Amino acid sequence: MFPTPIQKASGPTRLAYQIALPIALVIWLFPLIGVAVTSLRPASDLAAGNYFGVPSSIAFENYASVFRDSPIGWYILNSFKVTIPTVIGAVGLSCLTGFALAVYGFRANLWVFFAFVAGNFIPFQILMVPVRDLTLKAGLYDSTLGLVLFHVAFQTGFCTLFMRNFIKGMPFALIESARVEGVSEWQIFRHIVLPLMRPAIAALSVLVFTFVWNDYFWATVLVQGQHAMPVTAGLYALNGQWVAAWHLVSAGSIVAALPPVLMFFLMQRHFIAGLTLGATKG
Amino acid sequence: MAEVSLSNVKKDFGAISIIKGIDLEIKDGEFCVFVGPSGCGKSTLLRMIAGLEDISQGALRIGGRDMTKIGPSDRGVAMVFQSYALYPHMTVGENIGFGLRMTGHEKAEIAKRTAAAAKMLQLEPLLERKPGQLSGGQRQRVAIGRAIVRNPEVFLFDEPLSNLDASLRVQMRGEISRLHQDLGATMIYVTHDQVEAMTMADKIVVLSAGRIEQVGSPLELYHRPKNLFVAGFIGSPKMNFIPVDARPHNGGIEVTLPGGATLQLAGTLAAAGKMTLGLRPEHASATGAGDAVLPAKVQLAEHLGSETLFFVSLADGTEIAVKADGLAAERPGDTMQIGFPARACHLFDADGNAVLNGDLTR
Repeated sequence: MFPTPIQKASGPTRLAYQIALPIALVIWLFPLIGVAVTSLRPASDLAAGNYFGVPSSIAFENYASVFRDSPIGWYILNSFKVTIPTVIGAVGLSCLTGFALAVYGFRANLWVFFAFVAGNFIPFQILMVPVRDLTLKAGLYDSTLGLVLFHVAFQTGFCTLFMRNFIKGMPFALIESARVEGVSEWQIFRHIVLPLMRPAIAALSVLVFTFVWNDYFWATVLVQGQHAMPVTAGLYALNGQWVAAWHLVSAGSIVAALPPVLMFFLMQRHFIAGLTLGATKG
Repeated sequence: MAEVSLSNVKKDFGAISIIKGIDLEIKDGEFCVFVGPSGCGKSTLLRMIAGLEDISQGALRIGGRDMTKIGPSDRGVAMVFQSYALYPHMTVGENIGFGLRMTGHEKAEIAKRTAAAAKMLQLEPLLERKPGQLSGGQRQRVAIGRAIVRNPEVFLFDEPLSNLDASLRVQMRGEISRLHQDLGATMIYVTHDQVEAMTMADKIVVLSAGRIEQVGSPLELYHRPKNLFVAGFIGSPKMNFIPVDARPHNGGIEVTLPGGATLQLAGTLAAAGKMTLGLRPEHASATGAGDAVLPAKVQLAEHLGSETLFFVSLADGTEIAVKADGLAAERPGDTMQIGFPARACHLFDADGNAVLNGDLTR
């Protein structure tokens, strides 16, 4: 077996492994540990210059004051207002596009499919200026609706690739059999294909939720005011309010990271399935 | 009334022609089997009748109505797929009733017809199960149930038994035949297994490379094959083909067999030439009874209990199979006397067309 399991390796190799692994782990987690520790550091420590040392006391009140003194609750609500409609919109649309591309052999099928796939290869940053102009002209600038529409547009390409391959992997005889039974195309989609797509829908929903919740770029490009600001961009705004209040910004970051982390642990199975499902047929 | 008629039906995939012009009439209530080697187009032809493949050229009529351009859902046919194609997320009962539910039948009506179909196929104890919990034979019965519940005029079967083991296949063969008797509907059945074709069909259509080789009842094809292809395809073990010289002689035909023996056959022949003599293993005599007798060396003996199958080589090395008594004692290496009864011999010309059929009537 290759590689040799570490339990069967020679003594020195095992020792080196046991030393190197914790070191790598600490380096890897260092930023996260730093943020977590800072979020529990009292303000007085930061004022005294104790940035990296042991906190003088554990200050859970940082979390309370983030909620009390900043609009973070509002920002989180905005994040949900952006993420949930995006998940529904992108996954719903891609179920339809994926079905069309997988089931119907129309002339431009492959070209349309390539267009969806090719869209994924465009670095979205280069679209920043035109998209911002477009939202301004469409009257969607600085609104959660604008953010939702653009997230749906950008996510649908990947989702379509994923769904199309998933449906392609289903036995086509199911669809043909229903057709011979006199079932309409919409009924085939609704009663046969959609129920069988449940694992793909779950996996894709978790993925898209994480992508969109963690988006910082479009949140800063398309939104300016507090009323529509998602929590990722909102944290940046906190920074301006309390220039030196790193303990509060850290606490806010931890709070903002919780929903996707929770989502991941609750639906871990689907998340991992989602990373590999689209890769192969079936 | 649901007769199916195809006139000059063709199918092309791009430049490749799959079905090269089929004319066929299937009568109402007939059990018609399409048989042929894989790749001969038999499944494509069935799917064209179902509406799952477009008809490139020609016309299809079902029950007198032109169905050439009609979609599969409006043709009034039901199809059973090789893979069964059961909906995995529905129970057996839901699977059977699904088509009715989607086409707007009333709940009570669906329940009644589902129950009737389940009773007919002994599926009643399984109605609440999912397809994943069923055996192959049970799945096959559900697929058939899904077809009969709609009372179609035409049933289409696409190699429905090829995923089952041998004993189950024999059992399901009987069940489908019984179903045909009970329902009296037109059935079209595709298989590559000539035993299925022989045992079930009223009419067999032998296909090869997108063309019909011969249409007829099982016994007609067995006794009077039109050409070498049909002769070799129908019957198991397959017919022996022996190269011979044939010439007109005394108002009949004289053929010279390998080794020099001659055999007199009734019939007329225009000109002498090299031809192929066909003789089924079950008609060749291992005890030397016949109108010509050839010595042959046993290469292999298969003892099946009820019979023994000898593979023997003639003087020129031609191998033939001979069916003999179950207690025949010859071993490989032994010499046997093989008898050729003239009334069972078929003769095919150089193009493979039958000149003379050994239909045992002469």
